[in-house]
Amino acid sequence: MAMNKKALHSAIALAGVSAFALTACTGPSGGGGTSTGSAGGGTITYGTTDKVVTLDPAGSYDAGSFMVMNQIYPFLLNAKPGTADATPDIAESAEFTSPTEYTVKLKSDLKFANGHALTSSDVKFSIDRVVSIADDNGPASLLGNLESVTAKDDSTVVFKLKAGNDQVFPGVLAANAGPIVDEEVFPADKLMSDDEIVKGKPFAGPYTIESYKKNELVSLKVNPDYKGLLGKPANDGASIKYYADSNNLKLDVQQGNIDVAGRSLTATDAADLEKDSKVTVHKGPGGELRYIVFNFDTMPFGAKTAEADPAKALAVRQAMANVVDRDAIATQVYKGTYLPAYSVVPDGFVGAIQPLKEMYGDGSGKPSLDKAKKAFSDAGVTAPVNIKLQYNPDHYGKSSGDEYAMIKEQLEKSGLFKVDLQSTEWVTYSKDRTKDVYPVYQLGWFPDYSDADNYLTPFFVPGNFLKNHYENPTVTDLITKQLTTVDKAEREKVLGDAQTAVAKDLSTLPLLQGAQLMVAGKDVKGVEKTLDASFKTRLGVISK
Amino acid sequence: MTTLIEAPPTDADGLLPSKKKSSGGGLGQYILIRFLLIFPTILILVTMVFFLMRITGDPITAALGGRLPPEQLAERITAAGYDRPILVQYFEYLGQLLTGNFGTTLSDNRQVTEMLTTYGSATLELTINALLVALLVGIPLGMIAAHRRDKAPDAVLRIFAILCYATPVFFSGLLFKLTFSVWLGWLPVAGRAKTSSELELTSLQAPTGIYWLDAVRSGNMAALGDVTAHAVLPALALGLLTAGIFLRLVRTNVIGTLGKDYVEAGRSRGVSEFRLVTKHAYKPALIPIITVMGLQIAVLLGGAVLTETTFEWKGLGFQLATYLTARDFVAVQGIVVLLAVIVAVTNFIVDIVAALIDPRVRY
Repeated sequence: MAMNKKALHSAIALAGVSAFALTACTGPSGGGGTSTGSAGGGTITYGTTDKVVTLDPAGSYDAGSFMVMNQIYPFLLNAKPGTADATPDIAESAEFTSPTEYTVKLKSDLKFANGHALTSSDVKFSIDRVVSIADDNGPASLLGNLESVTAKDDSTVVFKLKAGNDQVFPGVLAANAGPIVDEEVFPADKLMSDDEIVKGKPFAGPYTIESYKKNELVSLKVNPDYKGLLGKPANDGASIKYYADSNNLKLDVQQGNIDVAGRSLTATDAADLEKDSKVTVHKGPGGELRYIVFNFDTMPFGAKTAEADPAKALAVRQAMANVVDRDAIATQVYKGTYLPAYSVVPDGFVGAIQPLKEMYGDGSGKPSLDKAKKAFSDAGVTAPVNIKLQYNPDHYGKSSGDEYAMIKEQLEKSGLFKVDLQSTEWVTYSKDRTKDVYPVYQLGWFPDYSDADNYLTPFFVPGNFLKNHYENPTVTDLITKQLTTVDKAEREKVLGDAQTAVAKDLSTLPLLQGAQLMVAGKDVKGVEKTLDASFKTRLGVISK
Repeated sequence: MTTLIEAPPTDADGLLPSKKKSSGGGLGQYILIRFLLIFPTILILVTMVFFLMRITGDPITAALGGRLPPEQLAERITAAGYDRPILVQYFEYLGQLLTGNFGTTLSDNRQVTEMLTTYGSATLELTINALLVALLVGIPLGMIAAHRRDKAPDAVLRIFAILCYATPVFFSGLLFKLTFSVWLGWLPVAGRAKTSSELELTSLQAPTGIYWLDAVRSGNMAALGDVTAHAVLPALALGLLTAGIFLRLVRTNVIGTLGKDYVEAGRSRGVSEFRLVTKHAYKPALIPIITVMGLQIAVLLGGAVLTETTFEWKGLGFQLATYLTARDFVAVQGIVVLLAVIVAVTNFIVDIVAALIDPRVRY
């Protein structure tokens, strides 16, 4: 018996060792890399804490979704890496053929990854679809100046505009509303799920999606049929890896598990990473704006509250603008990686001024409790006012929690406010905020195109992206005027007037502006090429 | 005198009583009863989850109550069908479950069944790994502690056991991460695999989603190594939680067995203490371990929420935490129900195994 048991044990051990050896022999000889085998810069992995809301261009207007769209969908116009100017991408030419007609000619023999031809009909379909679906989280508001789209022939598209000489329309076509999709795949009147999109392969950008696990891992394959401005990617393929925790993102780039870490690293992380010899911290011009949004219906004394009073609601906003100490937030929370923002257009953009600096606080950018109290007493507001303040912990970086804790402290310290601070994850947050769920809440903005207008039109015209029920005909007129003013000096003046008018109404309260930041391994090249004022992440320029 | 200690002929030292063949008549009935008990167990769990989660009202109110104007809240409640009598909803929910329909998540519009199958395998992998750690650490150390009873190693191991089950898994997880990933750089920080391995494993034909199994199936040893490296810290963090309990249990049982007459007889014959522990005391001591193992599955699944969150192990626990934060009632309910089913089925299997090992439990 004992002998039999020993024999059995030996046989099991032998079988185990043999199986291990056999499987080892059949394994790949390399290191299990993802190289597709083609010559080039190998594959790269980009890590982010951003999340994809949807891959359907009609249903998203957020950085996480747009980042992926920039890799997989073609645009009529795009910004060449290193610049912010919208120039023809899959278009051969694009120009105003009359003040209200913008004509685009497509390159020849364009096709989607599924084999379908990409024609002017797809272009018309894509743009019309964004407008007709008009999803709450979609970019339809960007196309406010569009009257109609006509496909004149297979390669010619004419955009008829409501207001002539629209100076930002080319930029709009390079932005969130501009991805061209396959009309044979997408439904015209409703959004499509990510899995269905991936299955349909309606991609004609620099990459196609090879595999897709939503908000986990996206694998991109170089699209050999892409004929656009961005050219052939410098790598053999790319992956986008999603993180829930920016600490893990930071540690993974330090350990070389990913090549590039983009966005949402905290200021402390950035300062720490700058000391690490294994990685390089790349910084680019910052267009990011962090601000508080007021819902004009549901904020204290808002139009649909029991105690509705526009003057008192304005006083609440003014008092907040007077009390908040941006400098303290920038230095204490963000260690100087953000700067105080005193306008809805970040400092540095053509036409940007700083009206909030003079209008609120002590006149030099510091808070003023006296002015805040005066705003309350002038409007007959009794302190403290209860504010339900929402922020998001996973989309604008972990420091949002510290940022809003400090704002709560500043507001409550004044004795004028009692703040109920709440937070919600982005997937829910992005939907709820347009449904009047949050009376006062955090948002951040990464511009779609490098123009002051991109900080005005999406936020302050009727039916805007914020859906905060703010309307002011004067502001609307000024925004429309700057859009169509051809003379540059005159346009800058109008842009300044628009910022001043918006600062008086305070439908949003600008707080901070920041820089673009990416962290990459020492062997990674090309990161700086995508950190330009177009604010587009183009994985195609990164290689190692 | 020799007849007082019956010497069974089944082992080398002649200590163990001979195995009498069980009549086997009770086993079939036992399995059938245990199997049938699964259904009321799951039904009770499902019912509890359903009603408990509605204590605070319907999911829309739970998520948005006080933040949405009343008329909009009412609109959304009606649209979702949550304004109907709760019993109607309950029976409708049961009907849906019977057809495998767990509904659609509120926050990201995914089919709950699709979400459960996608992430369930990751959690299963983590749980198996953790259980392996628990067994590999708990049983041998428990035997050593029993063997060295009341001596220094025993004291050290008992303290170790207490630390194991008293340390919160997120704390031990962070500690491991800091030590082995950040300071020593030996093991990966987070995730289930490197991007390259993950892509290779998910691109397989009919992947199981259990990475080490997929790596073995495809013969990809590089991926297997990578997956194993990623699994070590999460498995340790979660497995040690249960290892402490196993250690104490094995120690107690082995000590109990070492006091039995047939072991004493062995001692008197000069059989070494080590041999007595490893050869004769461990088997009877393992039976309660198997029973406890079933209960520990629930502990492990609960611990998986914290472990997965700490290590970005994207399984059901990770998703549960995400959906809880997003107050996604439907998704949370679906995940909890699935976990309940896993616990019930595991306990059934454990009961069967225990019955096969020890016929006494059938009665």
